[in-house]
Amino acid sequence: MKGLLRAAFAAGLMLSASSAWAQDAIKIGALYPFSGGLALLGDESFRGLEIAIEERNAAGGLNGKKLQIVRGDAVDPNQAVGEARRLTSVEKVPVIFGTYSSSLSVAATQVAELAGIPYFELGAISDPITERNFKNVYRTNPTARVFASEMIDSLIDVIAPALNVDYKTLKVAIIHEDSLYGQTVAGYQTSRAKEKGINLVETLPYSANSVDLTPVILRLKSAGVDVVLQTSYQNDTVLFFRQMKEQGLKLKAVMGAGGGYSLRDTLVAIGAENMEGALNVDFTQYRTNTKAAPGLDEFVKKYQAKYSTAPRSGHSLANYMGAKIFLDAMAAAKDLSSVSIREAIMKVDVPVGATATGWGVKFDEQGQNTRVAPFLMQWQGGELVTVYPPEAAVAKLKLGIGTK
Amino acid sequence: MRLYRPQPSVLHPHLREAETIDVLVQLILNGIMIGSMYAIISVGLTLIFGIVRVVNFAHGEFLMIGMYAAYLLSHYFGLHPYVSALPIIVLLFVIGALVQRFIIQKLLDADEYIQIFATVGMSIALINLALLLFGADLYAVNAPELRQPVPFGGYSLLVAHVVMFVCAIALVAGLHVFMHGTPLGRAIRATAQNRNAALLMGVRVERIYIITFGLGAACVGLASALVVPLYPVTPTIGSYFVLTAFVVVVLGGMRSIYGAFFGAMIIGIVDSLSGYYIAPDLKEVVHFVIFILILIFKPTGLFGFGRGTE
Repeated sequence: MKGLLRAAFAAGLMLSASSAWAQDAIKIGALYPFSGGLALLGDESFRGLEIAIEERNAAGGLNGKKLQIVRGDAVDPNQAVGEARRLTSVEKVPVIFGTYSSSLSVAATQVAELAGIPYFELGAISDPITERNFKNVYRTNPTARVFASEMIDSLIDVIAPALNVDYKTLKVAIIHEDSLYGQTVAGYQTSRAKEKGINLVETLPYSANSVDLTPVILRLKSAGVDVVLQTSYQNDTVLFFRQMKEQGLKLKAVMGAGGGYSLRDTLVAIGAENMEGALNVDFTQYRTNTKAAPGLDEFVKKYQAKYSTAPRSGHSLANYMGAKIFLDAMAAAKDLSSVSIREAIMKVDVPVGATATGWGVKFDEQGQNTRVAPFLMQWQGGELVTVYPPEAAVAKLKLGIGTK
Repeated sequence: MRLYRPQPSVLHPHLREAETIDVLVQLILNGIMIGSMYAIISVGLTLIFGIVRVVNFAHGEFLMIGMYAAYLLSHYFGLHPYVSALPIIVLLFVIGALVQRFIIQKLLDADEYIQIFATVGMSIALINLALLLFGADLYAVNAPELRQPVPFGGYSLLVAHVVMFVCAIALVAGLHVFMHGTPLGRAIRATAQNRNAALLMGVRVERIYIITFGLGAACVGLASALVVPLYPVTPTIGSYFVLTAFVVVVLGGMRSIYGAFFGAMIIGIVDSLSGYYIAPDLKEVVHFVIFILILIFKPTGLFGFGRGTE
């Protein structure tokens, strides 16, 4: 017993010593899924934050103090809560950045809110994160509702004019995987479509674990659908494109809501010639006009220098952009208390087209960035290029799906 | 079994009757094709369950291993997935035999739930091993010629599906001949009927178990080579198939390979029809309702031997 007490005492001394040592650096909590199934894109997201922090340290840090990242590994919502508690109460970080996944963010932000620690969300899209009247949660990226509205609006503003038809004559179908992601986006799509008077002929949810989407495709075929809006992961995107071809379903346009549509592996599995012309609404990707997204090139260069590979997805860019906004706000705040940070954040006012993602920044009372919208992209010649809005576009919209 | 079949005029008023029948036939054909895929997987599961009496929750992960093997063989050695079937079947046989020899055999006299924990644990370990080795990315074998539609009396079937259907029938027929026509097959059947009596008759039961587990895994090996042209591989791909395979095994009477075959066809067709006529996201509901009804009203399955046939 005595030995145990002595050991505990020694450990306590060491802990207090190490925190005393780190006092001249400012700790920054970074809560992402670093292991488990979400790790790939979780880590990709974290890289954006890491580059933003290194950039700031190279420029002298925050008010003369260096920034030091403290990682929290949020594998699932339970662990997100545990790690958020550790960051706020043991590590005593003044702010937390995160989180990539919405379910992790919903859980972790509650801990931060209770602890009165500002939580900066840079990637999770679920709307309720910034609809709970929290005072310490801020988000730079667009939400699911904005994604869904953007898809419907692109249909009206871009696709129907390109097809040279009145958008009300197009038969539109929504198909989506039936987990929270698909349900959420499809729900907002449906309400926006009704609002705009779109002719919605089918809404078909399916399990992302489906091994056969032929019934879905035959339903679309029977209904004579022109345009399909799909919210999907990778496997179901691959299956849909393959079986669409097999069953001879001819569409005028097909549009994805990020997810499986944005990833190169999906394209490789489907074949570039079959996915040619597929549209996609997502966070800013790398084939975007840099006049509308100043700093994008520099980010890619820094990324390549640090990780010796090209960015694996747009997640790192979105996290980089958001982290820079919040670090600037922290620098502008008179101290790192949550009240001062909130004051500084509410003053942030960046016009659209002035950040590396092309997004502007202006937060509402709930901490949600209101000057933000995903771009419309298209797979062309094996590349995901931005086609709308015109100032961000690097290519013109092409009609049709598949090269044949 | 009655299938839900709404009035076509209610669901699709713009369709003529002839077109509706066309869709129905296409859906049934499609269901049979998907069913033959489930059949090959379920026959393997049935062998292991019916003879070794172990519920193999890692069955889907065996499929995942086979699919990665097919991908690697095609990517690095340019082997066509159907050519790679042979080495993969051998590989899976060896894996299955080793699992039985070094994991399950040690637990044969333990409680059933211990065996279940062992196979569930193996499943989790294998998924995470695959995540470690291959990451969460998906890999696809490039075989577009197998995804070409074959015209079939005005309907279309895929080359890969037709091959699968033929293989499923050949597998069941082959197993029938093996089980009834060879001494080893008879020993396996004897062991399934009564382990102790078989032991008294000089059957080396532990060896029979090793061979049977290997055979069950080898069926999955065949399935993985046939499935890989159609579905990209990911660490969790096994879970796409294996839940349905369990339903099929119960439907088919747990120990009958013929039961598994017809059970798979039924589930394939039900899946296909309910996905179209009810809703794509409710097809699992439909087949799990069937699962529950069978457990309540005919727990020995549609083709079961009946109770007490040990």
